[in-house]
Amino acid sequence: MRNELREANRRDEAAFNAGLREIYRVAGDSMRPTLKEGELVLMNPHAALRIGDIVVARHPFKKSVRLIKRIAEILPGERYVLLSDNLEESADSRQFGAIPAKDILGRVEARVKPGTEEN
Amino acid sequence: MFENLKEMNFEIAEAHCDAPCGVYDPAQARVEAESVVQLTKKILDLKRPEGDDAAAHLAYQNTLTRFIQIKETRADLAKHHLLVLWTDYFKPPHLEKYPELHELFWKAAKECSYVKQEVSTEHCEALMGHIKRIHEIFWETKGKDVAWYTAS
Repeated sequence: MRNELREANRRDEAAFNAGLREIYRVAGDSMRPTLKEGELVLMNPHAALRIGDIVVARHPFKKSVRLIKRIAEILPGERYVLLSDNLEESADSRQFGAIPAKDILGRVEARVKPGTEEN
Repeated sequence: MFENLKEMNFEIAEAHCDAPCGVYDPAQARVEAESVVQLTKKILDLKRPEGDDAAAHLAYQNTLTRFIQIKETRADLAKHHLLVLWTDYFKPPHLEKYPELHELFWKAAKECSYVKQEVSTEHCEALMGHIKRIHEIFWETKGKDVAWYTAS
């Protein structure tokens, strides 16, 4: 299941300016075609998580590395199976296993395009 | 909207493979396996000294031990590189396309053990054959036409 990613709006901008959202820059191609290298995404650290959501997570072995992946499954004990959209290009839970809830930093809610006007 | 973001630096969210990423080549396993092949030949060709010359016997033992030790190490390295390819590079979609993959890697890893346990040109040849097939599949998955070659 893939939840589509909308574009950020004025309300998102206000939430970001209030410190309630974080912005990350995507590196790499493992989330193609949904997200491309260099795109900005808006993350909500407080959102409830569901299967199909894109999330930013701590890498299980390299704690300084942040990953962006999609939740494929939620296992008992609040562990999340994360997969890439581009399965050919990536390592994800197929290699490093499920990620505990504490290492999920938040849900990606929108893509951010600086300088564009709201439709 | 978000005009103030243009000059900002944001934290990176990796959509990469397991960073640092993406550099795989069956050549690593091939080079180590070739060392095993060469060392197996050297061990088989090594002549035991005749007579009671202690220095000659010592030299022989030393050389033989070194050959064996290097063969052990290289066979382990070949197995290591094969397992990295198997577990890190190859993904379920590859397995669908090449159903022989699991058995191929299993056999190749087994041969890495046999070439250590024995001094066997047959097992060396079998190992090289499996690595050649892995090379072919690997480069097909990359969409590149890379000819098989050996360094020795």
